[in-house]
Amino acid sequence: PPEIRTAAQAPPLRGPAPITDVAKLCVCDLLVAQCDVNCCCDPDCSADDFSLFTTCSVPIVTGDSRLCSQKAALYSLDVEANPPERIFKLIDQVNPSVFCIHATNYKEALSFRSPEMPTSENFDQLLERFGSAAFSAEPDSWDENRDAQNPSDANETYRYEYGVPIQTEDGFLRLPSPVISSWCSDANPAGFLVNQATKCTRSVSVEKCGSVQGVSMLFYTNSSILAVNITVQSVVLQSLNGTQTFLGDRDVLRLPMAVGELCINIVLGVSYHVTYTDAGEITEAAVSFVLGAVNRAALSIQQSFEISFAQINTKPVPLSGNPGYVVGLPVRAGFRPHGYPFPVENFLAAFVLNTNKYNQLTILQSPSNQDCLAAQGPRTPVLFGYNMISGCKLRITAGMKCQPLSQTLLDLLKGQSFPEYVASFGNSQAQDVLDWVPITHLRISEQRISNAFQSSCQIPVSLEIEVKWTKYGSLVNPQARIVNVTATITTTTLEQLPSGRERTVPVTSSVVFTDVSSPAEPGYKAWPTINVKLPFDFFFPFV
Amino acid sequence: NCSYQLSSVPLQILIYVNGIYYIFYFLVTLAMIVYKSQVFSYPDDFLAPDLVLLFIMAVLEVPRSYLGSKGNLTEEEAPLGLSLVITVGSVVLSVYFLVWQTYVLKADVIINAVLLFTYGLEAVLKVMAIAAFVS
Repeated sequence: PPEIRTAAQAPPLRGPAPITDVAKLCVCDLLVAQCDVNCCCDPDCSADDFSLFTTCSVPIVTGDSRLCSQKAALYSLDVEANPPERIFKLIDQVNPSVFCIHATNYKEALSFRSPEMPTSENFDQLLERFGSAAFSAEPDSWDENRDAQNPSDANETYRYEYGVPIQTEDGFLRLPSPVISSWCSDANPAGFLVNQATKCTRSVSVEKCGSVQGVSMLFYTNSSILAVNITVQSVVLQSLNGTQTFLGDRDVLRLPMAVGELCINIVLGVSYHVTYTDAGEITEAAVSFVLGAVNRAALSIQQSFEISFAQINTKPVPLSGNPGYVVGLPVRAGFRPHGYPFPVENFLAAFVLNTNKYNQLTILQSPSNQDCLAAQGPRTPVLFGYNMISGCKLRITAGMKCQPLSQTLLDLLKGQSFPEYVASFGNSQAQDVLDWVPITHLRISEQRISNAFQSSCQIPVSLEIEVKWTKYGSLVNPQARIVNVTATITTTTLEQLPSGRERTVPVTSSVVFTDVSSPAEPGYKAWPTINVKLPFDFFFPFV
Repeated sequence: NCSYQLSSVPLQILIYVNGIYYIFYFLVTLAMIVYKSQVFSYPDDFLAPDLVLLFIMAVLEVPRSYLGSKGNLTEEEAPLGLSLVITVGSVVLSVYFLVWQTYVLKADVIINAVLLFTYGLEAVLKVMAIAAFVS
């Protein structure tokens, strides 16, 4: 894409730089990092590719032909030779006309001027010149050093947008992935901010140990992302039976080599980790390897690749949607740390987010033996849009004390750290206080207490979390937004049993998602009205 | 030269030829500026100085030739000296058209080179004539 190519060749503030070297200019080179057919000037083509061409689509590349003397690059195919080869000649072409241009003192005479990129400094001046309905195309003539006005960056920086392939010195950062079949194809470029994880198969054998490029560490580290070198972060050695050992010296480049019956230092897994700034520049790139070995019997190995992006100086928090919740992703929740002053305007970074998703809004996970008192295992995270119910059976025996039992059941239903607030959007940040919805707690008693003086204690038997959500935003792309979360605990009285008897009480917890979106209202334009008013003295003599 | 005639005949011939050549030069340069403005991108900010300087050069040529001719024929060194000074100005303008014009075509190079050559030759002959008149 031309934007990337110009970004690689000039600071982005100046715009594209003119290419005047005819040996490097090639108009038929359309595919990046690939050979174009019949394009004799394409630098990506090898001699084998040239031997397959039939003709040269671009036989000569020259500058402006009105100049008296100029360089020209001639490309032709020598079909007589076997195999056919490309001939490249750089000659001086002379224009015989007496009206050829000998010299010019006008910079924009033969090429277009680089446009000025608006920055905060020159924006007012540009607006004054170009902001009206018409403006003159002529430049300020005696201001030859226009580029000197723009502050030039000392180190050139490259800004990326989402999905744009990350450029390296020779092409793009490649993440091998399976194409059609499961064999690895090395042509998949990694997109900026696109977290990918792929697995593919590569054929390798002990005989071709050192010659297959895709299994060597060097292949993944030798290209640098333009200004940034790829550093090796960690190397893990995996032996033939699967045990992994972490290697301490990560500066040593381990190349595949044949040792006896095995071929060792084969790359089994690559994990790139790219750090970027919020302006879209890549500042660091680190790669971690898993190296393994193959024996004589193996014909292919499975490699796994992944790339992840993290913004500089932030701790990555997994989002559950952007901005609305995505069905199936965990509901994000958190606490407000105590000790913060109560007035709402003093909330700053008010919420402590639980980054471990198993500590977020969770419900009880049904134990395998259905016994509540044995269920202290992991809890299930609440996934948005999935109504869940789980439960266990509580055996009440004669001697059980109510108060500790009630506390145990409450801990069981709610978990160790039941959050206080739930994020209303999938990407709510901790510092936006208004984006968080407090959880409302209700308590219902199952039986009507007829005797108010009966001092019976209640044990919780059911926790129902009702999450009300609404569709928010435009009609064509509605985003899910949580508006209300209510946790209802239903309690029942614990009857004292005569000794020897026991009773089983079911304990349940459930999560229900209710859609409370109001229907979308279409808006229609008002009918046009004819606004006609008679002059007020129309009926003059009579009124 | 006869001893009583100090006027330089070659100088007179050269002044006459230069006058005719200058008319040719002026018309050709003007025509080429018109051609350049049609064929190339020639904004007004660059066209105006070129045209103005060409007309100044034409205006300077008249007193230059006249004073040179008069000074040579009347054997006075003052008009010749003044003509020499104006010649210097014309040389500068000719160099402008040779080097600093907006578009310098090959034809521009040729006619300006010839003009500079004749100016140079004229200047040498004028200096010799002044030397002859003074002594």
